[in-house]
Amino acid sequence: MIKFENVHLRFDTGISLRNLNFKIDSGEFIYLFGDSGCGKSSILKMIYMDLFPNAGNVVVFDHNSSQIKRRDISRIRQRTGMMFQDFHLLSDRDIYANIALPLEVQGEKSDEVRRKVVAQADELGIRTKLTHYPHELSAGEQQKVVLARAMVISPDVLLADEPTANLDDTSALDVLQSIWKINSSGTTVLFATHNSKFLRTDPARTLTIESGEITGDRL
Amino acid sequence: MKLSYIIREGIIGIRRSRMPFMISVFSVTIALLVVGVGVLSVDNGLKYISDLQSEYDLEIYLENEVQIAETQTIADIITKYPGVIRMDYLSKADAAALYNAEFGEDVLSLLDDNPLPSSLRVSFEEDYRTAAYIQSFIHSVESLSGVDEVMFKKDLFKRVQGLMQLIYSVATAALFLIILSTVFLTANNLRLMILARYEFIETVRLLGATDFMVKAPFFLEGGILGFMGASFSVIIIAAFEYALKRYGIIDLPVRILDHPELILGLLIFGVSLSSLGVLKAVRRMLRFMS
Repeated sequence: MIKFENVHLRFDTGISLRNLNFKIDSGEFIYLFGDSGCGKSSILKMIYMDLFPNAGNVVVFDHNSSQIKRRDISRIRQRTGMMFQDFHLLSDRDIYANIALPLEVQGEKSDEVRRKVVAQADELGIRTKLTHYPHELSAGEQQKVVLARAMVISPDVLLADEPTANLDDTSALDVLQSIWKINSSGTTVLFATHNSKFLRTDPARTLTIESGEITGDRL
Repeated sequence: MKLSYIIREGIIGIRRSRMPFMISVFSVTIALLVVGVGVLSVDNGLKYISDLQSEYDLEIYLENEVQIAETQTIADIITKYPGVIRMDYLSKADAAALYNAEFGEDVLSLLDDNPLPSSLRVSFEEDYRTAAYIQSFIHSVESLSGVDEVMFKKDLFKRVQGLMQLIYSVATAALFLIILSTVFLTANNLRLMILARYEFIETVRLLGATDFMVKAPFFLEGGILGFMGASFSVIIIAAFEYALKRYGIIDLPVRILDHPELILGLLIFGVSLSSLGVLKAVRRMLRFMS
């Protein structure tokens, strides 16, 4: 599903990712673990083709980063759910509109949009919040909205970039449990975190990044 | 659904960024007002100068002994000549009446017989109004039987034509500069409007929207913006022209409402300027993001 082959990525700041080689199969749950600024977000960005390696190849759903067309980037993103640390919710739209957005940009029919949004909100326990605006919700609730928006398209893979970083312990655990539940239904999950506690409480395959390299890939 | 999404997002975009949108409409209105007033000023100027010329371009004097049938033949040949827009016949009696009106004396009381010849006054279409073309016409007509002389005030004609050409060239260059600055100012304003929508563009892009789906609502928004700006500019110009006439300041010979092609031109220019300007701004932002 996702393959990194001898990937190198340099930044203007001088930090770089070197010699990344790993493969992610369908249905896996993987932690991308490392300190803040080690390059976890960059790895996720390379998966949804917002960043391109200076050398090597990133292959996602059989699309190779070295030959990819703009249209195919949209296709990858249409099959990828994304969660961001800073939510990326549109502040001027209510929760329903925020969750519906990925379906609408993909041209889904309006009655289908309604059905899927309500079902997803039900699933994550935020149905009563659909008419609210993001600023009216707690950080934990906002992250659940982000998760609902990511999952409403029934993606093949969920990329979660430090989704619990701004949450208190209870909310963080709640979000993590929701993501595990999603994984159990077959969605591949790539979960970037610097919190080692999750690795102990909910162990899974972990890619550890240190000094720009993958220093560990273990279950 | 895609179309309904595009239309809905376009309208939502306008509603949510009312102030930047109205500022952009205002800037397009001003820009097109300048362009429209510029075009109309040139047209009115040219019309005034053109009116300085006599009502006709040349006069063909017929021989005294010419018969009615022969006059008719000459008239037929002239009216069929390419570029002739108008031809008036002045009989000997008409010529005498004109002489009387101009000099206050009755030519028949001075002389026993009316010595003034009958004539044909000819006007040409704008595109054929060149000294060279009229000269070639004169050359053809002079050889016709029954034609005595052709009067053509070539010097005055050439001077007026030269003046019109000069005004036309200067005005075209000025209009080009106005349009160019209009495009730059409007494009810059639209870029600021799009910049305010950075969050939306970034989000939908990451959620898998194709470039088309990102750009299309903005393209529509730009079209609406341009249409509104152009419509306002046409209404303002028409109202201004009406006020000039209503308060007796000046009755312009060329008015915007008499020229649907100018109204259409302003609408097309406004819509294309805004929608393409918006499109360019979004494309630039997408390029910056990726």
